[in-house]
Amino acid sequence: MKVSLVWSSPYPEKTIAVAMRRCYSTKPIEDIEAELEQKGPEYWKYLLSKALQDKSLDVLEHFVLTLETEGAAEAEVGLLIRAFPYLRVTQLGQSDWLMTLNARTLVELWKDPRGNSFAEMVASELSRRGVCPIFSQLAFEVRTNAS
Amino acid sequence: MRVRLLYHTDLEAIKRVLAQKGIAFDPEPVMDHVFYMFEVEDCSRVTTHQLVRHRAVSYDQESQRFSAATREGMVTPPSVQSNETGSKAYDEALTAVYSAYERMVSAGVPKEDARYILPSAIKTKLVMTLNARSLMHLVWQRTALQAQWEIRELATTLHGLAREATPELWAKIIER
Repeated sequence: MKVSLVWSSPYPEKTIAVAMRRCYSTKPIEDIEAELEQKGPEYWKYLLSKALQDKSLDVLEHFVLTLETEGAAEAEVGLLIRAFPYLRVTQLGQSDWLMTLNARTLVELWKDPRGNSFAEMVASELSRRGVCPIFSQLAFEVRTNAS
Repeated sequence: MRVRLLYHTDLEAIKRVLAQKGIAFDPEPVMDHVFYMFEVEDCSRVTTHQLVRHRAVSYDQESQRFSAATREGMVTPPSVQSNETGSKAYDEALTAVYSAYERMVSAGVPKEDARYILPSAIKTKLVMTLNARSLMHLVWQRTALQAQWEIRELATTLHGLAREATPELWAKIIER
């Protein structure tokens, strides 16, 4: 099976931070964005690690990924869809698929034996493309520490 | 009310994959894969109660546990504004409620408990992320004449922003 990234939300860690700050701030969005820009990636990392620690995974849902998956059998994909209903799948060919999921579903796949090998491939593609280094470090570290 | 589209899926990236596979572009299956993230400011909690009934959407909303209410931060419906008696009653009630809220908070009642008295007219802010299929369902239901004025305004604005960002997906839908 081969997984290639088609598209992902821009600035994923900052996007997750915007969602977190929206819950606690009365300020307009432009002020939140300016605050996050000024405080920089270390602060986004702090917020993300807090969300993962508190298991407030809803904020991860704003980071969306679309993937092209080649060489995956229909039975294998069927199993994933049944176990993870928020994984959106469209068949492109006999064993080729367009898949869209959010980062919360990715973390859930990662932690589940039914989805782990697929999540490993997605994580490695994200890392190869340098899409979300802070997210990858924190989200996939959680499992390493727990296991 | 103010709405901003924070990002949306690049439809061209999906079209490239389809073209490589020799598949003609069809909006129907693509609707599951195109996502929009919006930020909404200063609509009432009446409207966000209606909004969150659309469940295949990710929401994060300003929490009243942590942010303080203000007397200015209330929505007044047009039918109340244009009714002299109604407008007076509305204003008196909001003034009384806000004054009680302020007294409780000043006396040390936590905001998360003082908020029990706050009305649904209070303005709120939220971010929401959803795909084109869910947004179309929302637009279809909430732009209907039977829908309430405030959520109709929100649904119409969401529709306009999504249509401008990804016109090919919205060619067929007709706003009610």
